[in-house]
Amino acid sequence: MKFIGFVIVCLTGALLLYGTGEFPDWGDPASPASIHLSNHYIEKALEETQVPNLVTAVLADYRGFDTMFETAVVFCAGLACFLLLRDFSRKKERFYRHTATGVILHVKDSKKVLKTGKEFEHMDKDWVPSDLIIKTICRILIPFIQIYALYVVAHGDFSPGGGFQGGVIFGSSLILLAISYDLKTLLSRVKEKVLGIFAALGVLIYVGIGAICMPMGGNFLDYVKLVPLVPGDPHHIRALGMLGVEIGVGIAVTAAMAVIYINIVSEGRHDEGL
Amino acid sequence: MDIIVILFLVIGLFFFLGGAVGIIRMPDFYTRLHPAGKLDTLGIFAMVTGLSLYNLQHFSFEALLLSAKMFLIVFFVFLSSPTATHSIVDAGMRAGLRHWTKKKRRG
Repeated sequence: MKFIGFVIVCLTGALLLYGTGEFPDWGDPASPASIHLSNHYIEKALEETQVPNLVTAVLADYRGFDTMFETAVVFCAGLACFLLLRDFSRKKERFYRHTATGVILHVKDSKKVLKTGKEFEHMDKDWVPSDLIIKTICRILIPFIQIYALYVVAHGDFSPGGGFQGGVIFGSSLILLAISYDLKTLLSRVKEKVLGIFAALGVLIYVGIGAICMPMGGNFLDYVKLVPLVPGDPHHIRALGMLGVEIGVGIAVTAAMAVIYINIVSEGRHDEGL
Repeated sequence: MDIIVILFLVIGLFFFLGGAVGIIRMPDFYTRLHPAGKLDTLGIFAMVTGLSLYNLQHFSFEALLLSAKMFLIVFFVFLSSPTATHSIVDAGMRAGLRHWTKKKRRG
């Protein structure tokens, strides 16, 4: 099985290398991209899409398909981390902490299970007591980080930013919570199931906005056809479509980031530590 | 006005330079964190003060708002930089790294 995988990887690599031979040189002024595409984007983007940020216009409108599958790739990365690393097996030895006194119990018999709840709670070997200073500062900072992330997502079509960046910032705020408190705190706030659903929901929003355009009589991701559905200035419909798409990207990236972090850092066991 | 701005920028640069030299020259992990955490904070404070004063040369409400936003950067660096340094030192202590002393330790 490993050998077959090796052969497939080598073949794909060879094909990619073979394909690059046909490309025009790096920065070649006579290449089709420099002659036709770039000029068109630079001169016509504002006129055609009403979006001041050229990068977003190219990313979410002219090359919407590309970005859609990029989002799918991010989703697949999260899914792969979950499928490869998630470990549902029961632990052989367990640690419990008495909530009131902080006394730690080490149970070596795998059959004995203490009831967790009011008196005892789960813990594991890697657990370190989190620091008051770090906890307080992170509690102050996390809301600001999240507001900033929403700002970056919402302003993607007017200023630098967008779904990917905003999603990463939002995901990093979740990771900061996991670092400053512990993994259990994050998982009690945001359930693993919710993260999985959100990752899929983000991709669904993107594809859904594209798919709605088709029964309205346009091509896939042809935002202009959404005019009857959305109130407001019809000239800005492309900007609004891009905003919707960016929100989808942001949700998918946030959830995928959190899933990847949680699974890698605890080797799929979702322990309390780190 | 320009002179004040330049003065602030130079002060900021001086502290940043001191921090960079300190990170290279200090003898061990904990002492290196000292310039990394402290001098950057003061350096960024002086720099942003200079830049926001420069921004306020043509006084208007927008310029004032922009300067306030610049000071938000300082505020967050003031919060996060010492906390980051603190947590790194904490991790070093927990990992059992000994601090540097002048005496030679017997191997």
